[in-house]
Amino acid sequence: MQNPNLGKKIFMEKWMKGLQRYNSSNKEMSILERTKVIKITSDIAMASTRKSSTFWSQALLANASQDDSNKTILEHMLGSNSKIVEKASRTLLRMANNSKKIRSKKIVKKSCMAKRVNRIEYHGLASCVVAKRLVKKRTQVLKNLVPGGKYLQNESLIREALDYIDSLRVQVDVMRSLAYASNHFHCQQV
Amino acid sequence: MNRHITQMLQKQSTPQSMMGDPREMEFCVQREQAQMKWQQEQLYQQQQLSYMINDNNQMSMFNLPIQGGISKQEDTMGSGWNVYGVGDINCTLPRTVSCPPAVAAAIAEAARTRSKEGSFMTNLSSAVGKESIMKRKLDRTQSLKVKVEEETKDKMKGCIHDAGSKITENQSNSNNGNKEPSPDASEENSKVSEGKKLDYIHVRARRGQATDSHSLAERVRREKISERMKFLQDLVPGCNKIIGKAGMLDEIINYVQSLQRQVEFLSMKLATVNPTIDYNIENLLNEEVPQASTNEFSAIAIPSEMVNPGNLQFNPLQDLCSGPETDDMALRRTISAPVSLPETLLNQSYLNHASPWDADLENLYVMEFQQGKYSSFTQPFTGHMEATQVKLEM
Repeated sequence: MQNPNLGKKIFMEKWMKGLQRYNSSNKEMSILERTKVIKITSDIAMASTRKSSTFWSQALLANASQDDSNKTILEHMLGSNSKIVEKASRTLLRMANNSKKIRSKKIVKKSCMAKRVNRIEYHGLASCVVAKRLVKKRTQVLKNLVPGGKYLQNESLIREALDYIDSLRVQVDVMRSLAYASNHFHCQQV
Repeated sequence: MNRHITQMLQKQSTPQSMMGDPREMEFCVQREQAQMKWQQEQLYQQQQLSYMINDNNQMSMFNLPIQGGISKQEDTMGSGWNVYGVGDINCTLPRTVSCPPAVAAAIAEAARTRSKEGSFMTNLSSAVGKESIMKRKLDRTQSLKVKVEEETKDKMKGCIHDAGSKITENQSNSNNGNKEPSPDASEENSKVSEGKKLDYIHVRARRGQATDSHSLAERVRREKISERMKFLQDLVPGCNKIIGKAGMLDEIINYVQSLQRQVEFLSMKLATVNPTIDYNIENLLNEEVPQASTNEFSAIAIPSEMVNPGNLQFNPLQDLCSGPETDDMALRRTISAPVSLPETLLNQSYLNHASPWDADLENLYVMEFQQGKYSSFTQPFTGHMEATQVKLEM
């Protein structure tokens, strides 16, 4: 994203469109529902801002499309071209399949690793193993945090995390300014 | 630590350590680690050991260091290494320092041994330092024990062939590289060929590092990861002082989590604070589509209270589109909320002159000004608004 302001603008427009369309469909909602809708629409807007260049956005779209109640929002937001969602879910499926292969590879590796680790521990090289374990644990956590991170390898995971953080920042900025504006209006009214 | 590595290296210790005592073997391995003058070290060791025994036996026999027989060493090894094996190196040194004055006759001898022991200690410490360096390298590259073994083997070979050690090392490296489909004569050659093969990735194997394709690829992968980690470090605030992958990942995880929580919180806030917000936005965007004139706009039945929100709703949009001061302004706004609003709008209007807007956004903006006239804002604010409106409409 070369120009953060441009990104913000695009995101804002998409988000507004989503909110508007959704609000026009059913007007009466509880606060929790509203929260959910706002969050989902902003997520989708964020994901669609990034096109299909990144994996996390596709995973986000695919995850959103899995919930039936969100399908209407998706259709509204992404308009007629629901191909994007299809493509995203297809990519997710592909990645899942890939990860299965990887997992089976990993099992083999693990069984080899266990022996090695045992040997290392036997020889008392504990700190290396401990450090590795720490990194592994944290990588696992990060994989859970980044959408679609489960299917990613280490290097691509970090790249996706970079991108995701970037977009999250934009999202937070926009939402904050909007929240501030509405809050200010509220104060003025009171 | 020291002991661990020596234990690890125990396997590789050459048949030099023929004695049955495992501690003796340990020491042999240490000597290999030090890699030079092991014979002299042995001498030191004998002296030190005997000295320690002297210490234990109340300085009874000072002739031991002179004899220094291997058999005696064997005999005394158990007790001496018991002292040492516990790991309190520091403990033995002060004792030896404190002992010599007790016996007047052995002062000179004691001084000699002390100095020698000192040198031995430095030797030992250097060995430990080397080991620690090795260990660090191990941690950094996260390579498994196999690699270290290779390294140490290389080193040992280099040690054995004292003269022209480099050549032997090259040979050993090429031996390692024999697994490759195209075996090379020496390390340099292999490097060159690799550079030709993958000219876009510059791989350089350091001394003692494995050069087969798998480890090279692994190294490249690791470098890539660390590079990206560096980028992440730049992106995540307060992450540049943290060293180590685990800590950095921790920080990144915290940041992502905080951002996600923020998003959730903000969406909650948006949902609760002002329920009319969505409708305002809706109105805004409804207007955006038909490129409405002011008449149309007024014709639409909007409750009078919606006029203000419409104006306020537009703030973020402008805020976002206006120059690089966004954060600044947001900060100012949060600090002094009621006063600064006209100010920010002013800024935006100024910026508006300079930056070209999209047609619809422009229209929207104009419409908002029309609304702004109705609303009760401060004088300078509306004055500026009018000015901008004129400019925009022209």
